[in-house]
Amino acid sequence: MRQRTAILLLLPAAILLTVFLAVPYVTVITSAFRTPGEGTPFGEGYTLGNFGRIFSQWYYIGQALNTMLIGAITTLVTLLIALPVAFQLARPKLFLRGLAYGIVLSPLLVGIVIRSYGWTILLGNNGVINRTLRDWGLIDHPLPLMYNTLGIIIALTHVFLPFMILPIMSAVQGIDPSVPAAARSLGAKRFTVIRRVLLPLAMPGIQSGCILVFVLSLSSYVTPALIGGFRVKTTAVTVVDAMLDTFQWPFGAALALTLAVVGGGTVLIFARLTRIKWKT
Amino acid sequence: MTEVRLDGLTKIYSGHKPAVDAISLTIPSGQFVSLLGPSGCGKTTTLKMLAGFEDVSSGAITFDGQDVVRVPAEDRDIGMVFQNYALFPHMTVFQNLAFGLEMRKIGKAEIKRRVQATLEMVQLDHLADRYPAQLSGGQQQRVAIGRALVIEPRILLLDEPLANLDAKLREEMRVFIRALQKRVGITTVYVTHDQAEAMTMSDLVVVMFDGTIAQAGAPSEIYEQPRSATVAGFVGQVNLIPAVVEAHRPDHVDTPFGEIPLPFPAQPGAKVTLVLRPEAVDLHRADAGQGVPAKVISLQYSGAIVDYVLEFADGTRMDVKTIPRHRVMVGDEVRLSVDPSRFWMLDGEG
Repeated sequence: MRQRTAILLLLPAAILLTVFLAVPYVTVITSAFRTPGEGTPFGEGYTLGNFGRIFSQWYYIGQALNTMLIGAITTLVTLLIALPVAFQLARPKLFLRGLAYGIVLSPLLVGIVIRSYGWTILLGNNGVINRTLRDWGLIDHPLPLMYNTLGIIIALTHVFLPFMILPIMSAVQGIDPSVPAAARSLGAKRFTVIRRVLLPLAMPGIQSGCILVFVLSLSSYVTPALIGGFRVKTTAVTVVDAMLDTFQWPFGAALALTLAVVGGGTVLIFARLTRIKWKT
Repeated sequence: MTEVRLDGLTKIYSGHKPAVDAISLTIPSGQFVSLLGPSGCGKTTTLKMLAGFEDVSSGAITFDGQDVVRVPAEDRDIGMVFQNYALFPHMTVFQNLAFGLEMRKIGKAEIKRRVQATLEMVQLDHLADRYPAQLSGGQQQRVAIGRALVIEPRILLLDEPLANLDAKLREEMRVFIRALQKRVGITTVYVTHDQAEAMTMSDLVVVMFDGTIAQAGAPSEIYEQPRSATVAGFVGQVNLIPAVVEAHRPDHVDTPFGEIPLPFPAQPGAKVTLVLRPEAVDLHRADAGQGVPAKVISLQYSGAIVDYVLEFADGTRMDVKTIPRHRVMVGDEVRLSVDPSRFWMLDGEG
């Protein structure tokens, strides 16, 4: 009786997920194996040719590798910035806690398009940064900050920082303050306490933050499209181009699937390497 | 073996009255000392200052004459056991114990030997590879004690270590900790609000109220010769009887229920308070030829021991705790007698 009620209660969510999540996924997967049509989305029969096209052209392979590199560097940089911030935010006696949280969450309060445009104003050849440096006489030619990988990484780091800070902060808040105190009483200096006790205990948060930021970076479209422009394209941008501009649904689907598999595989390996054997 | 001295030790959190107010205490080497008191009495703050986790506002802490106030916690060479154990959840039992030795740059083989020996001492050698989350509360407790002792610290500090254990295990751990402490011979400071724990384990009990030491002494001294009514009441049930020392016989006092001989003379005519433990009273049948008559108002039967509330003719009441020799019911008339040596006396009205 109770079990039937539980199933009934789960039904709306299950239907919603099946219709709006599983079906589109299946469509993408099947599309990836269909032939392109002439004037129609799909032609006759199935093929592996779409994947052949990806893996036979250095352009697509290189682009995927660059996308992965952008994801990896963005993850590493957000991690390095987030760690000290998260540890400070997790302190029980935090001055102006509300304000601090607000600042951390602020990137999420503005739409992603506006945020990315904001970065173009800062990073462009005639942008705030380059003009200031030129006015001060520090540079003759503008620094290449936009339309390249560096610009994309800078903007993505800003956008995804909260997704790294929040899980680490919550892991750190879960640490009993007497545990680092115990380490000190056993003779551990400040830095040793961080390295041997606090960081390992923050690991569950670090792990989920890294996975979140990496996956979000791989799949991000708006920021790379606006900052990278026509010069640097990530795989996600090319997928959208193929789907919308050049109307190559099967090829776009194959590219999307490739990115998903490679990205998913990377996440699995990462999770495996950072496996946590203990629990609190 | 280290002698610990506190000299005028004070802790003031800005804007508050002192949490610890100029306490002085000498803990002889190798002794087991309990800081006993209600929550907020400053006992934990005192322990934290000893450990180096809390700055000292004024006063001195010395270990064997060496002032340690400015020595940071990590260099004080202290073994600390926390109330919630504070084990490293990401390390196995072995790694938890090895941590302090690694900090002391001791060789791998030596670490292994010492951890093994300590694990045997706390009876956990079969669980060396478990993580703390896989252990019971009592086992975690013993890991915490082992981790504190394996570094062979100068002193051992325990902060209400038994508070989170169930009653039966608490009894076991009391005996275990005390036996271990005697075997190792380490100077130990134990913080607790449980008077039974302090009484059964300690060489010296320090009763603290409001940031000051109310009394320090052997458990029997604290119990039988309390310096104030508050101390008397904190370490056990007590009857406080107002009395007046007789003018012509200063070794006798007048009480509401009769004249009582004192084991010592007092100031004639002075108002005093007699301290009488409920179990020091002997209960007799109404037809016994001796004793002060009283009536049973209520009783609480708990098998081996019965707690009575008795009322005298003038309406004053007294708690009595005895091993029942004969059946007494509520409403019965009884007679009481007390060996005069069982009285303790406080100046004034307590």
